[in-house]
Amino acid sequence: MANITKKVSWSSRADESGAAGEGTPLLNGSEQPRLFRQSLDYDNIENQLFLEEERRLSHMGFRCLEISRWVVCGLIGFLTGLIACFIDIVVEKLAGIKYQVVKENIEKFTEVGGLSISLILWALLNCAFVMVGAIIVAFFEPIAAGSGIPQIKCYLNGIKIPRVVRLKTLVVKVCGVICSVVGGLAVGKEGPMIHSGAVVAAGVSQGRSTSLKRDFKVSVLFNHYAFMPATARAGGTMFLGGVLFSLEEGASFWNQMLTWRIFFASMISTFTLNFFLSIYNNKLGQLSSPGLINFGRFEGDTVAYNLYEIPLFIAMGAVGGLLGALFNVLNYWLTIFRIRYVHRPCLQVMEALLVAAVTATVSFTMIYFSNDCQPLDPDHTEEYPLQLFCADGEYNSMATAFFNTPERSVRSLFHNQPGSYNPLTLGLFTLTYFFLACWTYGLAVSAGVFIPSLLIGAAWGRLCGILLTWADPGKYALMGAAAQLGGIVRMTLSLTVIMVEATGNVTYGLPIMLVLMTAKIVGDYFVEGLYDIHIKLQSVPFLHWEAPATSHWLTAREVMSSPVTCLNRVEKVGTIVDTLSNTSTNHNGFPVVAIFVLFSIQPAKLCGLILRSQLIVLLKHKVFVELARSRLTQRKLQLKDFRDAYPRFPPIQSIHVSQDERECMMDLTEFMNPTPYTVPQETSLPRVFKLFRALGLRHLVVVDDENKVIGLVTRKDLARYHLGKHGLEELQLAQT
Amino acid sequence: MSSLVLVATLALKICAVVSSDGLILTASASAGGQVSPLSLPAAAVLNAPVYPAATEPIFSLNLLSSFPEDLEISGYCNELLRVFGERYVAYVNCLVPAARPVKVCQSCFSSYGSLQATYLNISTDQMGPGNVSCKDSLLRSDRLMLVYVLYSNLEDLWSRSDCDNCITKGFQSLTSDMLYFLATLNQTLTCFEKYQQGNHTELCKNCKASYKDLNELYGRMEKNSTMCIDIEDSMNMTRRLWSKNFNCSVPREETVPVIAVSSFMLFLPIIFYLSSFLHSEQKKRKLIHPKRAKSYTSLNIQDKLS
Repeated sequence: MANITKKVSWSSRADESGAAGEGTPLLNGSEQPRLFRQSLDYDNIENQLFLEEERRLSHMGFRCLEISRWVVCGLIGFLTGLIACFIDIVVEKLAGIKYQVVKENIEKFTEVGGLSISLILWALLNCAFVMVGAIIVAFFEPIAAGSGIPQIKCYLNGIKIPRVVRLKTLVVKVCGVICSVVGGLAVGKEGPMIHSGAVVAAGVSQGRSTSLKRDFKVSVLFNHYAFMPATARAGGTMFLGGVLFSLEEGASFWNQMLTWRIFFASMISTFTLNFFLSIYNNKLGQLSSPGLINFGRFEGDTVAYNLYEIPLFIAMGAVGGLLGALFNVLNYWLTIFRIRYVHRPCLQVMEALLVAAVTATVSFTMIYFSNDCQPLDPDHTEEYPLQLFCADGEYNSMATAFFNTPERSVRSLFHNQPGSYNPLTLGLFTLTYFFLACWTYGLAVSAGVFIPSLLIGAAWGRLCGILLTWADPGKYALMGAAAQLGGIVRMTLSLTVIMVEATGNVTYGLPIMLVLMTAKIVGDYFVEGLYDIHIKLQSVPFLHWEAPATSHWLTAREVMSSPVTCLNRVEKVGTIVDTLSNTSTNHNGFPVVAIFVLFSIQPAKLCGLILRSQLIVLLKHKVFVELARSRLTQRKLQLKDFRDAYPRFPPIQSIHVSQDERECMMDLTEFMNPTPYTVPQETSLPRVFKLFRALGLRHLVVVDDENKVIGLVTRKDLARYHLGKHGLEELQLAQT
Repeated sequence: MSSLVLVATLALKICAVVSSDGLILTASASAGGQVSPLSLPAAAVLNAPVYPAATEPIFSLNLLSSFPEDLEISGYCNELLRVFGERYVAYVNCLVPAARPVKVCQSCFSSYGSLQATYLNISTDQMGPGNVSCKDSLLRSDRLMLVYVLYSNLEDLWSRSDCDNCITKGFQSLTSDMLYFLATLNQTLTCFEKYQQGNHTELCKNCKASYKDLNELYGRMEKNSTMCIDIEDSMNMTRRLWSKNFNCSVPREETVPVIAVSSFMLFLPIIFYLSSFLHSEQKKRKLIHPKRAKSYTSLNIQDKLS
């Protein structure tokens, strides 16, 4: 476990690692000095510059600002839809080519012998695609690995994960997900799509890209607070689901306007997707074509469900919770192994290749030895039916599950006629796919876990339906899929809506809800959700919805960090530079006090709070008291100068300060936030927690009754408390 | 028979028309419509012994057909209706025996053609002799719309069987594709018949060429979508014969190489994980230690709890 030192340690030799951790300095300054997890600054800095700008802004200007925000939201939706459309089409094309080649090969060799060659061909094709995907992820942008949902969840929670919303990440993510889906891994493309939507949103609202060295001057529209909305985009069709997803999964701070704007962006994105897909399918202007996640509508009598079926559904939910917990536990141990031993990029690429090869092998073996032959429906949707050793006119039904992109397999499990699968086929499929998916998640490829979970669930759900004999198996496949997905990711609200949307049957709203609730309750009894596990393993100071229970006796005084490095209202440049360059602390916010002697324990009176980024901008523009006196013509620093540097401020090392300048003084009064949030030292932990969660704070100053700074609470201080098996536990956050 | 039903429904329709005119008339008309079939035969027995009583309900209905002339269907339409009935019967008579094995397209296309022609005559907008159009009177003057429903059932059957793909325009003959397919099929079936008696392996060997030809032809036709139910069905039967009865499917023979290759593949990850476990340098995480107020650093949660 990453961070409970008392229980499990990273090393196999627990004590030693603990000792080593204490002994070594926290950072080897030269290596990656600023790769700490940082929080995002959502809080407005109401300094004098800000007030001045607000005063200048006319009523009309304010209106324009509002309208341009809407335009930007529309743009975000448009671009996201475009990307989704691109991924969809490319995956379809490439996968089509791959399956066609393999199918022809298999057909050729079925008769004359030599099917092991087809097996090798399949494995090689898979490996080739996966290799491209794994190399770009492992060597160019490791943050693009996985589904991206944990990262987005953290981002929405207010934690800045380096490089998570860069253009480079977006490119790697899109190419990576295409490669891994085409490469036949047990993955889906929905998680990465959510991530790319977030990158687009963040990128557009920042209006610039350092990779492209362009600046589109959009960031004026959005302060930090406002570009969140954007982040919340969702994949493809799940327009309503996407909105709820961002609501459920993250977003520390929420308001009606934001919801409405996200809704708008989602709708625009769906519209764009449908529009371009309609062009692609040569049905220009037909905008109702189903979007990205779409498992087809349940029609006719199959929609109906009976009262007596609800307990059955709930039981399936419980099974889904159990299986989901098993999945998570297995994946957890695997991930720990990977972090410990498979951390070099070339090893990661090799592992991905092996998984691809084994996936192909297992699928082929399953298809080869399957005796389940079924005739195709007259209105079948299988594009690559494999006959193999079946009688002429019949097709291997294991191949409809394995020899297909996962999304199509889900659709056929939902909708194929009763009797198109043997119970044995489904059982074997569930078993193998469960382990394959579990093994695949966490590889260094960009890949989501949505579709694989649905597929596993759909398979065993259909099995249940078949064993129950009287029921339509498709309905049970749907419930199984919901249960399995709920058991793995433990989302409730958004999953219900997504499932209902993806199948287009509102009738199933209640059963799906019950199933998901049961799955969550049962699963939570054993282990956390998959995303939470991965967030924890990445050692992210993630703040949950509520403070841990039974933590009211903890006060701010015990939680806070102390002593605090403070700055004087008028501070010597040398001191500031030294403080900022101190790699062992790497603080980000500094309380500004009346009189403060560095490194003294004595507390001083608080007058404001200033951020590292602001100090760096000030140093860069050399806003020194002495210089201001000598050069009266010097332009006054405006809020724009700070904004220009956003969101990537230069590191302190890149700022050159001469020896003379070190002796100058800097007046921070104008730039600091004069009214930072403070709490008295007796405030309880839940209270502090609520402030952080609701206001998106990054620093909270703890003062005594004379308004003297005695400590500082940051996100890391709060995130380390957690309710374990033996009551409240304190975790150690590992550095990454 | 169909004309009979039509007359009856016409009568009912008139009831409805009248009923909108006046209450009293409605009462008498409906009484006439409903009561008379029951009561009139009895009266007939008493008054006119010429007619055999009760056994001829047709007669009693015919009595009703004395509607005003402009509501009566013309002789021309009656004639059309009769022809439609005859051809309908002829087509259905042809269809039923062709149900299994399916030969509905090849044997009944001509009778469907003539049926369709008659129906077109009925449903046309052009006026027939005497300036009458039978479209309104025959097709949609009542709620049952019998002629229309009867015909559309058969039309639906026809379109579902995709027979248009195998029949030339104007229902002249079978298409050349179809004929060619039938010839190839015959060839294969003769071959089957020839070797049926002896060992099936013999059959599999000797008929493979012609069966393969047939299969390929079928595949091509499937792609061009020049298929109809006759072709599909006969191919299905042939395939079943070939695979199930004669057991000529490809056997699963090379199990060993497949198992060998796949176990090799499955073995690779084990080696990989073992070697990385043994040789790779373990990555350790450094923990961030909180900086706390002096007086509280010594006080741990555990201490405080206890």
